[in-house]
Amino acid sequence: MIPRYQRILFWCLVAAILIVAAFLYHAHRQTQRRLAAPADETPIAAPVSTSTQDVTLYLANDADATVAPSQVSFALPDDPTSRARALLDHLLNSYAQPGSAHPLQGGPAVEDVFLVPNTPSTDTHSTDKTETAIVNLTSAFCDRHPSGIQVETLTIRSIVQTLHAAFPRITQVRFLVDGQPRETLAGHADLTRTYSVTTENPQPTTSN
Amino acid sequence: MLPLRRHIAATLFLLATAAAAQQPRTTILLDPAHGGPDAGAHLANNVLEKDVTLAFAARLRAALGGANFAVLTTRDADPAAAIPPDQRAGIANHARPAACLVLHATGSGNGIHLIASALAANAPQRTIPWDTAQSTAIPQSLALAIQLDAAFVRARIPALLLRARLRPLDNLTCPAIAIELAPLDNPGGSPTPVTDAAYQQQAADAIAKALTAWRVQIAPQPAPQSTPQPAPPDTPPTGAAP
Repeated sequence: MIPRYQRILFWCLVAAILIVAAFLYHAHRQTQRRLAAPADETPIAAPVSTSTQDVTLYLANDADATVAPSQVSFALPDDPTSRARALLDHLLNSYAQPGSAHPLQGGPAVEDVFLVPNTPSTDTHSTDKTETAIVNLTSAFCDRHPSGIQVETLTIRSIVQTLHAAFPRITQVRFLVDGQPRETLAGHADLTRTYSVTTENPQPTTSN
Repeated sequence: MLPLRRHIAATLFLLATAAAAQQPRTTILLDPAHGGPDAGAHLANNVLEKDVTLAFAARLRAALGGANFAVLTTRDADPAAAIPPDQRAGIANHARPAACLVLHATGSGNGIHLIASALAANAPQRTIPWDTAQSTAIPQSLALAIQLDAAFVRARIPALLLRARLRPLDNLTCPAIAIELAPLDNPGGSPTPVTDAAYQQQAADAIAKALTAWRVQIAPQPAPQSTPQPAPPDTPPTGAAP
């Protein structure tokens, strides 16, 4: 015969086990919901507060070796470096569209754009507010870029002039590829030098 | 009479040869771009740019030789190792040619692309910076580019002139132009590839004609007669009333 106090203790322990099991199950569900929560925050529609802006893209044309301005309108981030990167992505991907006058293959082209003041920040007396843009291209973009002096030069000129049009304080542009200096874009155009928007003044001549 | 005629003909030939030898031949340096492991652009039908530039240089050398130019090249074959741009510029600058032509080929565009350095023109200095050596020859390079452009117009080959920063073009001290062969668009037909022998020969002949005209343009003008000429006896003295 089991004593009464032992039966009471047994059922108390069973009740405690059930309560702890229910608590653990509840905590487990809560943790699962908390971990899954970021995935649910993915926007399913464009933010309605972002307005499109008019920007000038300098588009290259292989037929006459020119780079001509073209007004387009699309949404851009407010942060300058993100804005510059989005601008160049839009520019370079526009060359992948059918009927492009300067056909390039599409895909990721720009890793980052950094804006660096031309005057060191320690020089507090300087009034020079100009900047150098450092454009970090992807090696995939360079590897699939058509090879030739004219086609590579026009791509670089298009990037430099588009950046200067959107950010007038950018007066110089340097290029990196995957974060490293590279000799040429696709075998010809020199990427080791700094391109100055003030001295880059193309004067192509069409003879035929 | 026949031996006498032969003698006269031989004498005239020797005189003409001697006269030609007294006139210094203009030296042109050709730089077929790329070579060795540096294949350059991969063109249609698995053709490599380094092979096209070498073949075009051979045609151009023959055309220039026929126009009485002395021709030097940075390479005559496919080298085992790539020739760096600085080495090409070094070869050219030591040779001191009258002009340098850097030869390229591409699969993009149409016709001939003439590229002059985008450096700003500078007056010659005692010390020439290596990276901007071409800046002292920019006016002559542009004059050469205009002659080439006109010659291609006459040959009915589309040509585009643009300026770019390019090595070794920027490092050359002589008048220098990069010539890039591109496929030739044919209305209603497929483009003529850069490997087409007739196209290359037509371009080479046009370049030879342009350089011939340019040689005349850059030739030193004859010095003015410094010997005073006697005045005619009836000419009144300067300042005298008639």
